[in-house]
Amino acid sequence: MTALLRYQAALLLRSHRWLPPLLLYGASMAVGVQGGQPILDCAGWAAATLLPVTAWLVRVCVTNEPSAARDCSAAAAGPWRVHLAAVGVALGAALLLAAVGVAVVAAVGDPHSTGRRAAVPVGSAAAAGLAAAAVCALLGTAVGALCNRPLLRSTAWAVPSTLLAAFVVLFAGASPANAVVTGLVTGSRTGVVSIPWLPLAAAGALAAGAVAVACALASRRT
Amino acid sequence: MRLTGVGRRYGLGGPWILRDVGLDIPEGSLLRVEGANGSGKSTLLRLLAGIDAPSTGRITGRPRTAYVPERFPAALPMTAGAYLTRLGRIHGLSRAAASRGALEWLERFGAAAYAGTPLSELSKGTSQKVAVAQGLMGTPGLLVLDEAWTGLERRSRALLDDEVRARVAAGARVVFVDHDPGRLAGEADAVLRVEGGGVLPLPAPSRNRGQAPGPPRRAERARPSVIVAEPPPGAVLPPDLPGTPEAEPAGDGAVRLTVAAPHSDALLRALLTAHPPWHIRSLTPAEAADPDAVSEASHP
Repeated sequence: MTALLRYQAALLLRSHRWLPPLLLYGASMAVGVQGGQPILDCAGWAAATLLPVTAWLVRVCVTNEPSAARDCSAAAAGPWRVHLAAVGVALGAALLLAAVGVAVVAAVGDPHSTGRRAAVPVGSAAAAGLAAAAVCALLGTAVGALCNRPLLRSTAWAVPSTLLAAFVVLFAGASPANAVVTGLVTGSRTGVVSIPWLPLAAAGALAAGAVAVACALASRRT
Repeated sequence: MRLTGVGRRYGLGGPWILRDVGLDIPEGSLLRVEGANGSGKSTLLRLLAGIDAPSTGRITGRPRTAYVPERFPAALPMTAGAYLTRLGRIHGLSRAAASRGALEWLERFGAAAYAGTPLSELSKGTSQKVAVAQGLMGTPGLLVLDEAWTGLERRSRALLDDEVRARVAAGARVVFVDHDPGRLAGEADAVLRVEGGGVLPLPAPSRNRGQAPGPPRRAERARPSVIVAEPPPGAVLPPDLPGTPEAEPAGDGAVRLTVAAPHSDALLRALLTAHPPWHIRSLTPAEAADPDAVSEASHP
């Protein structure tokens, strides 16, 4: 599995197909995270941005290998492992972005609640922001896994579905992503920081389920 | 390895490409798959290689597998050497063995100069060599070749033929499709004809054995084999050769090695993989000059 992860990571890195999702992330961060704004608002924006970016990264990773090469690695390691490695690399890249994003937010955000009524400790704000970003990365992974190969193979279906699903998951009332982003924004108003453990567990379970479905189908539909 | 009631169709209501296929593939068997275009040959190979799962039925006992596709236009963003090293790691080799194997196989196929060339810049033939090398990197228990010879030049085709023989002799299962009816003619343990969604085991031509794939050819193995090999400059015969062959000079510095037939493939392999490798002039059964003998199984 380590060899597969390294192979998929090399494919992602050298293909430069990570560049468009990275630019999307950077552009969104430039708009929503500006010096002097409340730190928790910034963290909420950074987390929300990460969800569609992660779904895009998953699409990049699972479509990165040409089919002839995928057949070779699938025979050697099993199609589900190849698919799992691709999704895993995308999630890893998204978590890296999450860490960088939180560092930027901690550096430039104003460590106070909205209207500078109460001080917000940078450490716990960063921890809450990181947990929220992880929730969004996990849900973005779930969206990417379910809206691309092997479930949706044609680009005409996969791209609009990924986009639509990413926004539905971000804004739907029951979604853990919505819960964590709302939690940060509310926290910014009240000055209370809390780590979203429950949404984190829910997002982890959803991502695991979605990736399991995609991996199970990796050898069924080519 | 066994296939029980295996069927495959694409989509829920699609037509059956293959249906109710039962096969037993013992160790050390060489199977040729035949059939018209679109008959399901490639589907059968993909099922065997585990790339595709059967819609019905079961495949059990699949060993470590390698697959070589017919075309390998893989525009991967890495060099041929880096790709082979990574695939070697995926095939279970250690880091050192993988990078050594990558260079060795490129060298044997006369493509060592392309080790540092990006895959996207390789010619069709060189890409195919990379695909074949990828399949031979590890020691797969099952090697699936889907017209792997297509696009290779004569010398590389012969090298792949020899390698298939050596792998089968060492106990691997090799299943292949090739458009050339003379490919490994008379050596396959069985020919599987894919037709109308079924797989019919045909009796292997020129082999006096049963119809179904069975244990590897015994009849041929009684006679000793004679290998005439030319040492690389300054090399002596490696010690502990398989089957402890009798060696005698054969003129021009070459050596004639006589060995019991069951060891001939392993011996051939040992000579070809020695450092530096030996050049094989001929391989013939003893006591009879066989016109079908492998000759000039050359080496870079």
